[in-house]
Amino acid sequence: MTLQALAVRDDLLSAQQTAWDALGEPGTWWTGAERLALAAETRRAEVCPLCAERKQALSPQAVSGSHGATDLLPAAAVEAVHRIRTDPGRLSARWAQGLLADGPRGQALSDGAYVELISVVATVVLVDTFAQGLGQARRPLPRPRPGAPSRHRPAAARPDGAYVPMIPRGENSGPEADLYPAGFVPNVLRAMSLVPAAVRGFFALHGAHYVDVAGVTDPTIGGRAISRPQIELIAARVSALNACFY
Amino acid sequence: MDLQAVVGTASAAGDLPPHGLLLSRLAEAVLRGDEGDIAAVRSALRTALGDAGLVDALAVVAAFNAIDRVADATGIPLDKATHQATADMRASLGIDAFRANHADDSADPPAPEQG
Repeated sequence: MTLQALAVRDDLLSAQQTAWDALGEPGTWWTGAERLALAAETRRAEVCPLCAERKQALSPQAVSGSHGATDLLPAAAVEAVHRIRTDPGRLSARWAQGLLADGPRGQALSDGAYVELISVVATVVLVDTFAQGLGQARRPLPRPRPGAPSRHRPAAARPDGAYVPMIPRGENSGPEADLYPAGFVPNVLRAMSLVPAAVRGFFALHGAHYVDVAGVTDPTIGGRAISRPQIELIAARVSALNACFY
Repeated sequence: MDLQAVVGTASAAGDLPPHGLLLSRLAEAVLRGDEGDIAAVRSALRTALGDAGLVDALAVVAAFNAIDRVADATGIPLDKATHQATADMRASLGIDAFRANHADDSADPPAPEQG
């Protein structure tokens, strides 16, 4: 398939299409319509005046205000989406705990809903960033599909050093047996394990753009038109620009 | 590889992978959202790497612009082995300052993985 005479490999486009279509499907904690509202909010955050002001402030906590109302999403979800989209490098444990305990106006987010929210934001950021890099128009959001969220919570998930519970290494059994590869399991792969569907969906997408999960720790594995050192330089530079410590 | 390129302070391309400075500029332009600069770097990289190379470079930019947010939003600690192996590098490049950005007035930054 070709986009404006620039050939994009089919597996990459397929991964994006699969992830994009899934935005409209009922998830684990959010309905399809709610997931699409999260996706739309991710885009709206880019032009949010409050976020812009907070980004310039020495501390985002010093700037109060509203991101604007939305019908489908609680205020805590809107706050989470906006902060993750626009200022991820300054998210804090206190901020996350506040969302999960009380939330703005007393509307707390469950930890599972928060994790799934993160996966939606990350998916939109990935696909939109790629489109921007290519100079392409953004994909329109899909239509919502009917159905209820699964509400599946892995029995093995527990507090494990992050803001949200995670499934410990070696304890991904039963329905989660496929979640981790053999060998070393980096924390970034465990990060969203409270919502296994988010892990599967996001890392299928991510793997098509970077290196497959199983090959991450093997520096000899590339399989792309640029070398692994070139890949890792880009990855590290992006992460430095985002001030991402991990 | 000259790791100063990661934090944008590499002075020469000699110690970088091929087209390293251009690849770094691509990341900067895309994250800055500067359409003009993106187009210029994209054109240069298309000449240097070909279509497939350009696409794969953009794919990595997109992938890490996303996964950085997963890491920061979930507050995952650095993997123990990585924390130990990169102590000197992080200090020399100033990367430890990124961890401090997550601190609140009354909270400590995320601790490294225990055990």
